[in-house]
Amino acid sequence: MRRILETLVPAAPLILLFVVWESAARLGWAPPNLLPAPSLVLQRLLELLPDGEFLHHLGQTLIRLLGGFAIALVVGVSLGLLASRTGGGALITVVRVLAPIPKIALYPAFVLIFGYDHASKIALVVADTLFPILLATFHGARAVEPKLLWSAWAAGSGRFASLFTVTLPATLPAILTGCRVALLIACVTVFLAEMISSTDGLGHLLSLAARSFRMVDMFVPLLLISLIGLLLNVALQFARKHLLRGQS
Amino acid sequence: MSAQAILQRLGAPLTVLVLLTLWELAARALALDGFPTATESLAQLPAILFDGQSLQSIGASLARMFAGIGLALLVAVPAGLAMGRNPTLARMLNPLLSAAYPVPKAALMPMVMLWFGVGDLSKILVIFLGVSLPLLYHSYHGAARLDDKLLWSAAAMGMRAPARLLRITLPGALPEVLLGCRVGLAMALIVMISSEMIARQSGAGDLLFNALDMALYPDVYAMIVILAALGFALDWAFEHLRLRLVHWAEPRQDAASGGNS
Repeated sequence: MRRILETLVPAAPLILLFVVWESAARLGWAPPNLLPAPSLVLQRLLELLPDGEFLHHLGQTLIRLLGGFAIALVVGVSLGLLASRTGGGALITVVRVLAPIPKIALYPAFVLIFGYDHASKIALVVADTLFPILLATFHGARAVEPKLLWSAWAAGSGRFASLFTVTLPATLPAILTGCRVALLIACVTVFLAEMISSTDGLGHLLSLAARSFRMVDMFVPLLLISLIGLLLNVALQFARKHLLRGQS
Repeated sequence: MSAQAILQRLGAPLTVLVLLTLWELAARALALDGFPTATESLAQLPAILFDGQSLQSIGASLARMFAGIGLALLVAVPAGLAMGRNPTLARMLNPLLSAAYPVPKAALMPMVMLWFGVGDLSKILVIFLGVSLPLLYHSYHGAARLDDKLLWSAAAMGMRAPARLLRITLPGALPEVLLGCRVGLAMALIVMISSEMIARQSGAGDLLFNALDMALYPDVYAMIVILAALGFALDWAFEHLRLRLVHWAEPRQDAASGGNS
């Protein structure tokens, strides 16, 4: 009973928002063609989910999202770990110049170089998610207790090997925090890129619906990408619990 | 000045120089139509920067961006500070914030344009939404971390709640609030560009895609350079302002976080 209450209390504001929005649409406070009832949007989402074409667009989005994230994860963690050993002066200088650049502005260049298909969107996701992962890894690895490394070296572990056997596991909490930020950025980035170039994917579905003023169909992809962001976040929390079960 | 300090000061220009050289070499090696060299692209900069119309476009974009930021500062910072000092309010608003976080704000552009028209209002509103969340989040955490005794003392001496928010909570949370402003500033520029790329009516993002449509590839890259420089310059300027405002907090904050972990 207590558990049910504890999960219900944080949900209360969301339920309230849902009720207010629903009644605003149902009671005609807002014109239904401008503000659709959330129940209609949910219903439409459930209708579309088994649809083959809809699933194709969803799949395209997920490939770009997860592909870009995976590349950024591998590159960011490796660069961050390596830079943590060398002091990282050069890396920090480069990051200080590149990080504040609005990456979305690079998208036309990626389109020109990589074309309108997967590659340009994946490149944009990598550009947007690389720095949060890289910086989290670098700062996390710098904060690793040096005694851990000294013990490993004294016990005969190689300098390079200890990067993966000692520094990487000890940096894991920081990396996972970076991943959490990066995953949300990846969801937003891929969606915007799909809206801008509008060839396929969930973002394209929104642009397509906007062209013919189908309000409910405009909200469906937006709701779905937000749910994907939330679900990925929850999945990451589970992974975190599993991966860090030995650490306090 | 020590060698390290000189290196630090030269780091940024040196990085830019290296990047431009890499760009030039890559473009020459690949020889793609859609990938002009750095020299070709940079040669277009004066044409864009001295053209009244494109300058006006970029200026209008920036004006909308600052309007959105100003609005967010007025609404989100007081709301965030109040959340930090009032646990009931925080419990009410936090679920809404977490639900709003993953929504791509610039993607709201088509809906917002149907609601509020195609004018400046829609664009400012979307930027406001994008900036508000990081500002709320950081103001909330800054205020929540504040030492309760400071506020109790002020209350005991007869200071009223609104005055406490302005004179105790705000300065106390300022380092964290300004951190939120830095994130918000970056966010504002991103939302501004992407919403203009989506709505395609006016502004810097539209300028960029117009050049792309007309196959003026060096212009595309010149625009990208302008926007990148803008992002860097805004961040640089804000960092100087931030350090000037909260230089007193930096070492203390480090010591506190070091002690807690």
